[in-house]
Amino acid sequence: MKSLRIALAALCGALALAAHARTVKMEVNGMVCAFCAQGIEKRLRAMAPTQDVYVSLRDKVVAVALKDGEDIPDATLVTSLKEAGYDVTSVQRVDAPLAEIRKAAKRK
Amino acid sequence: MKATVRGCFCLLAVAASIGARAKPIAFQDGWTVMAEYGTNTMRQAQVFYAPRFWWSGGPTYTKLIAGDKSFEHEMPGIQVNYLVKRWNLPDAQGNVFAWGGAGSARGTDGQGSFSGVATAQGGLQADYETRSVYASAKQEWFRSSRFGNGITTVQLGVAPYQHDYDELATWFLVQLRRYQGGVLPGKTEAIPMLRLFKGNFWIEAGADPKGRLQLMVMMNY
Repeated sequence: MKSLRIALAALCGALALAAHARTVKMEVNGMVCAFCAQGIEKRLRAMAPTQDVYVSLRDKVVAVALKDGEDIPDATLVTSLKEAGYDVTSVQRVDAPLAEIRKAAKRK
Repeated sequence: MKATVRGCFCLLAVAASIGARAKPIAFQDGWTVMAEYGTNTMRQAQVFYAPRFWWSGGPTYTKLIAGDKSFEHEMPGIQVNYLVKRWNLPDAQGNVFAWGGAGSARGTDGQGSFSGVATAQGGLQADYETRSVYASAKQEWFRSSRFGNGITTVQLGVAPYQHDYDELATWFLVQLRRYQGGVLPGKTEAIPMLRLFKGNFWIEAGADPKGRLQLMVMMNY
């Protein structure tokens, strides 16, 4: 019973985090030039829930800011990048706005 | 024996790492427009649309001019490009492309003028690049009842700094080119070049030892 309660609490926590996450941050293999990044950005910007996109070749990161109350499932993002010709190695949902991720990357 | 095996491995490694110049497929649902002015021997223009990231197609035009002016071959055609294999590595990407097509050639040669000669064209390209080094090799073939032309192009490059997406990318390259079919018999062109690209625009330019221009521009959108 106790473990069921813990599992439910963890699930609720994860759902709440996902609901509030404003940005999806993905690590991507194979992005080495601006031309690569262009295709990725074009695909992601075409998705209705996308507010903004940031691509960093240096950090191998693609970050998608989501519109309020909207979401793109991880699997859809991974498939979309696969169809653009790239491999996603990790997907993370973060609360940091895109501007902050961009700023942090520029500081490196 | 050991030296021969080592030599073979080195050649294989170079062949495997040699790669793309401008890629014939940019990205899914993307257009690639390329034009090249190759010293006094080659002119090429290509427009490709990619419905998927692994194939594209469109019209091409290639003109070859013999170094001794003994012939000129113009070869407009339609070409389909296919991404045979891509390696997405953490800090690098490698690709192998193949293409084929058909066209109708015109020109002049030792037998006089000709036009409407059916031509088959094909090619292979492999590339490997990181944000610091670049290697590419490309072989193109053009075959007809009137001629058999080929162009082998190898490019090796280094970047003085590692660019990011929103920055200007700068590359120093050496391009080596040999022709089959009599354009420059027995000669290898070696041209130092500078490549710049930012956003969707790419330009690379250089000059051969006689000061003749080698220029390539490309746009993706």
